[in-house]
Amino acid sequence: MRKFRVTVNGEEYEVEIEEVQVEAKTPVSRTDGVVDAPGSSPVSKTRPIRAGARKAPKPEVPEDQKPRQPQPAAPAGEGEVVEAPLPGTVLEVMVSEGQQVEAGDVLVILEAMKMENEIVAPVSGTVREVLAQKGSTVNPGDVLVVLG
Amino acid sequence: MGIEEKLEELKRRIETVQAGGGAERIKKQHAKGKLTARERLDRLFDEGSFIEVDQFVRHRCTEFGMEKVEAPGEGVVTGYGTIDGRLVYAFAQDFTVIGGTLGEMHAAKVCKVMDLAVKTGAPLVGLNDSGGARIQEGVDALNGYGNIFYRNTLASGVIPQISVIMGPSAGGAVYSPALTDFVFMVDKVSQMFITGPQVIKAVTGEEVSFEELGGAMTHNRVSGVAHFFAETEEQCLALVRQLLSYLPSNNLEDPPVKEPVDDINRCEENLLAVVPTDSNKPYEVREIITAVVDSGEFLEVQPYFAQNMVVGFARLNGRPVGILANQPRVLAGCLDINASDKAARFVRFCDAFNIPLLTFVDTPGYLPGTDQEYGGIIRHGAKLLYAYSEATVPKITVVLRKAYGGAYLAMCSRSLGADQAFAWPTAEIAVMGPEGAANIIFRREIQESDDPPSKRQEKVQEYRDKFTNPYVAAGRGYIDAVIDPRETRPRLIMALMALASKRETRPAKKHGNIPV
Repeated sequence: MRKFRVTVNGEEYEVEIEEVQVEAKTPVSRTDGVVDAPGSSPVSKTRPIRAGARKAPKPEVPEDQKPRQPQPAAPAGEGEVVEAPLPGTVLEVMVSEGQQVEAGDVLVILEAMKMENEIVAPVSGTVREVLAQKGSTVNPGDVLVVLG
Repeated sequence: MGIEEKLEELKRRIETVQAGGGAERIKKQHAKGKLTARERLDRLFDEGSFIEVDQFVRHRCTEFGMEKVEAPGEGVVTGYGTIDGRLVYAFAQDFTVIGGTLGEMHAAKVCKVMDLAVKTGAPLVGLNDSGGARIQEGVDALNGYGNIFYRNTLASGVIPQISVIMGPSAGGAVYSPALTDFVFMVDKVSQMFITGPQVIKAVTGEEVSFEELGGAMTHNRVSGVAHFFAETEEQCLALVRQLLSYLPSNNLEDPPVKEPVDDINRCEENLLAVVPTDSNKPYEVREIITAVVDSGEFLEVQPYFAQNMVVGFARLNGRPVGILANQPRVLAGCLDINASDKAARFVRFCDAFNIPLLTFVDTPGYLPGTDQEYGGIIRHGAKLLYAYSEATVPKITVVLRKAYGGAYLAMCSRSLGADQAFAWPTAEIAVMGPEGAANIIFRREIQESDDPPSKRQEKVQEYRDKFTNPYVAAGRGYIDAVIDPRETRPRLIMALMALASKRETRPAKKHGNIPV
């Protein structure tokens, strides 16, 4: 994790950036849980990149003492993000983009803790994006699938 | 004034109190989809059994024009009645009377029924629907909250205390429910938070709706503050009645026994198929619970929170039991911070109220990760060890499949005082999984081999054949019996009967120091 101080339009922001391995075959560059594919940017589960200082900064508080929070979860209608609940390996991806799923349908099988964990759809909807790749290793919080 | 007139006056006074905040405000309450305090009590108690006390209590605040404010019943209805024929005390805050706000005399009414409930050894149900402290009464209102918290604490473990949130409960008001045994919330009606959305926005800039911040699903799923979720108020009150049917009235009584309706010797062929032979495959542990208990009736507590641990009440041969089970379908059945917390609290409730504990084990271990370690899984996980060890009620354990390492110990192992420990033939009881164990024990052999991967496989298999079964543990007496899964119900009922007269004492002490 590295910290940068960035000045934009005279306002100072503190940004933390984590370097991650990008798999050559995936066109989507992924930083732990953050998806930069088009259309998904509002779905912000930004763990490593915290832009808590984006709200109008109060001048009397030094930048690095500001309370920082992750950005609010995606508002309704922006898609339901399905994250890896535990660290493991993606054994099987059961859905493809554009597919209709019912709540409870298995999206991904994640092998973790010697168990083939069924990651199910929390709500019914359309699969907007599939980020999980068969054979890839994921950490808790990594986005597997985005439902629209 | 003759007796006729005096009776007339009494009738008039009672009617005034029973009208609450008046027709207009009652209409508003109904418009919000909410029942009034009295309507709620009518539905909670056996028909016509509720008797109100302290109807004529009046506030004595004279500040800020309060001397002119009439508050019929002081914004809270208190009293007692029967639920399934058993005595229960209750208070219901009346939102139609100055917002159900809590002042000095409002709190005094609540405290009076709390004291009566403790003295008579009867459960207490609080229906919360209040705007919070009555600001005009200042520190007197604050003191009122303090008096309630103090009584909640003293009554804890003496009588079951149930809180039903049926409106806002904000700031200090949340702590009375938090101190009680069970919190019920109703979808889109209940709200609980320490600081509201406006304060959060002002201080941190986060924007969050009331429902998202402190609604019924938030506290049932995310925070674990609530134990039961209901779609409607009627459903919620029915759920309260159902919960009470499993609980004794106080800590000196045994839980109520129902006339047995299910065959003691019922064997379930189905149980052979629930647990997959491949130990990598998940399954639904509730299927095992419902197959074993009377009529398949299982009242799950906190069904939305920490779903890797299933806890709840059921009956075996008519006698209530508290059931805990790892859920292999969620987080592989691992123990984590929330699961430990949820289970430990449930164990302590059951122990306090003489409800035997039945534990189904299928856990690969503790959930790995920095979140867990930084979050204090060490101290939270310790709660479960503490709670099981401390419990003196009959404790029965059934190992279904995986029981590895510290997590096996934590799930009411023999070492923590299980009175009867059973295992299915599918059980794998060992210090760790075969892969991990073989890598450590046979590290040198594997390294020095010409073909390490196949040597590793060979050693893993060797370890698996030798240790991943219930017979090593049974050989030491850590498991009392390896049983045919089909016979689980009769075996459990026999064990419960054999343990019914269990008496176990602990060294005298003021209280232990559970790692909270």
